[in-house]
Amino acid sequence: MENKITSESFTIPMGPQHPALKEPGHFQFTVDGEIVTRAYVRLGYAHRGIEKAAESRNWVQDLYLLERVCGICSHIHSFAYCLAVEQLAHVEAPPRAQAIRVLVAELERIHSHFLWMGVSAHEAGFDTLFMYSWRDRETVMDILEGLTGNRVNYSANILGGVKFDVDDVQAASIRKGLDFLEERTNHYLQVLGKDAMFLQRTRGIGVMTRAQAEVLGAVGPTARASNVMRDMRVTAPYSAYRQFSIRMMLDSRGDLEARFQVRVQELLESIRLIRQILDNLPQGELSVHLPRRIPAGEAAVRLEAPRGEVFYYIKSNGTDKPERLKVRTPTICNLNSVIRLAVGHQLADVPMILAGIDPCFSCNDRMVTLADERDGSERLMTWSELRQHGIDFYKQAAK
Amino acid sequence: MTLISVLIALFVFPGGLFLIVAGLFYQWFNRKLLAVLQNRIGPRWFQPFADVIKLLAKEEVIPDGVNPYLFIGLPIMALAGALTAAVYVPIAGIAPSYGFSGDLIVVLYLLSLLTLCIGLAGANSLDRFSLVGATRTLTQLFSYEAPFLLAMLGPALVAGSWQVGKITAYAQNHWLILTQPLGFVVALVGLMGKLEMPPFDAPEAHTEIVAGALTEYSGRGLAIFDLGRAVELIIGLTLVSSFYLGGVANLPLFVVKTLLLLFVMVGLQSLLTRLRIDQTIGLWWRYGTLLVLVQWFFMVFA
Repeated sequence: MENKITSESFTIPMGPQHPALKEPGHFQFTVDGEIVTRAYVRLGYAHRGIEKAAESRNWVQDLYLLERVCGICSHIHSFAYCLAVEQLAHVEAPPRAQAIRVLVAELERIHSHFLWMGVSAHEAGFDTLFMYSWRDRETVMDILEGLTGNRVNYSANILGGVKFDVDDVQAASIRKGLDFLEERTNHYLQVLGKDAMFLQRTRGIGVMTRAQAEVLGAVGPTARASNVMRDMRVTAPYSAYRQFSIRMMLDSRGDLEARFQVRVQELLESIRLIRQILDNLPQGELSVHLPRRIPAGEAAVRLEAPRGEVFYYIKSNGTDKPERLKVRTPTICNLNSVIRLAVGHQLADVPMILAGIDPCFSCNDRMVTLADERDGSERLMTWSELRQHGIDFYKQAAK
Repeated sequence: MTLISVLIALFVFPGGLFLIVAGLFYQWFNRKLLAVLQNRIGPRWFQPFADVIKLLAKEEVIPDGVNPYLFIGLPIMALAGALTAAVYVPIAGIAPSYGFSGDLIVVLYLLSLLTLCIGLAGANSLDRFSLVGATRTLTQLFSYEAPFLLAMLGPALVAGSWQVGKITAYAQNHWLILTQPLGFVVALVGLMGKLEMPPFDAPEAHTEIVAGALTEYSGRGLAIFDLGRAVELIIGLTLVSSFYLGGVANLPLFVVKTLLLLFVMVGLQSLLTRLRIDQTIGLWWRYGTLLVLVQWFFMVFA
């Protein structure tokens, strides 16, 4: 590790390996005493070349590949992919399949928000809340396992529908789990809103105004905590959200406390929606047939992942493989706000501000940013450019 | 006093070996109880011992750019300071081995030696996490030290002596927690600050600065610092419980009272969120010091 002490600035690196980050990302915070004066982010440590890999697999194989874009919100990626491919093939999944997709998506949101609550409490040094929220999260993990057979990559979707049905026994066990989760969520809502010591760490910290959130392009709960109406389930309903409407949770304060409140209230809203779906599950088939070759064309879908808007673009050339596939995940939109908000805060608040957007690095690493330390310039390179650059570099070095 | 009894007092009981074993046991009690309160299972009884033995057996890496003498010497000095403090304290309910008038001040500063050594160890390193950790450790030292000292002087004032043995003898007949409740609260919370327990663990907040001042330490140095903390835990508990909780006249009373005190501290640890370093200073100078001064005011005029 190199050491940079100059007369006026002192830089603290965070990552790629750092206890505050559960995934590799690199942040540099220049501090004056304890106050952050400059923040810098570098990503790319979890680049896996998924978009390129998708071009060399057929439509069905891609479903399994894309479910692995993220380890937390896996369902939403296969959901988005299925919607886009179905759009290209001009078919629509049966109503029962759409309802089940939304059911799993909302269960996933519950699991993701509980996970996030634990992680942020841990960043604040409130380990008791961390342990309890993760214990309660096991309930929703068990529900998902009972429903799909898997805890992480549920593999619920197939092109044209879903793989499994929800019978009465399963519905009863989901309701039972939801009752417990609702009780716990109400408890956490109180803890997060009333615990004076915890409020010291969240109230008025990392305030993002509505104007800032719009300029920085924040999405998901991060944006909604700044009173920006941005929720794909409400503003552009897709799939079964057209029948089962959801209320958008907004907060006008824009600080960390608001981000906690918005997410915990979303938990309650998700629980309500799941109950509504279980009560009104449409009858019918679970899937429709899709051709092996998808007609040529382009499709773009926007879905609301637990962290915000996820965007999929797919281009088909009429063969059994996609020609181009582009994924944009919510974290890349929200990271800008961390860099902006961290400046002026205490170093101790930085992990909380970072956790406040619920970052997920493995989702968003598809482009590489190169920073030149000497003149401070930055440039973007695509993966193939970087690969070519590497080849050229070593060719020259060999000479 | 013969040479043999001196050596025993220093190395076996109450100093040295006994303190280390007891301190590690109390550390286990702390960890296990915290785990139970957090709905976890927690470590088995020998885990702190296993940790220390493993660390002692491991290679000690001395990083580039540090003064190697200080790097090796600081942990030893910290442990030595903590162990020396023990001979003036009624460990395990037995009257202090040594004592002179005013040894209370010496004990308190020998305990601060550990924190000071940790701060210096961090400042000795070139690592950026260590430097921030060292700054925070020393900042915190200056914030809790004065209120804690004032809270410990309250009993000394009513006992009419600044000698730990005499104060303890006086406290055996007087439950000072009843007459000086504010002093007790400040002493208890001050002890948590001294031991860098949550919520005062900003100097080693691992989500911000990894392991704080001791980030670069591994192997023997880390193990010795850990032992120093274990010893300080037991001495701190002994001091507060013997001053405020009606003294520790014999072994069963000692065990019950110190564990009770630790139980309260663990409860606080599990309930509270970590304070930022500026909030810690604010807490001590705005409320802690004020509380003790109010206590003193009542002692003098009532």
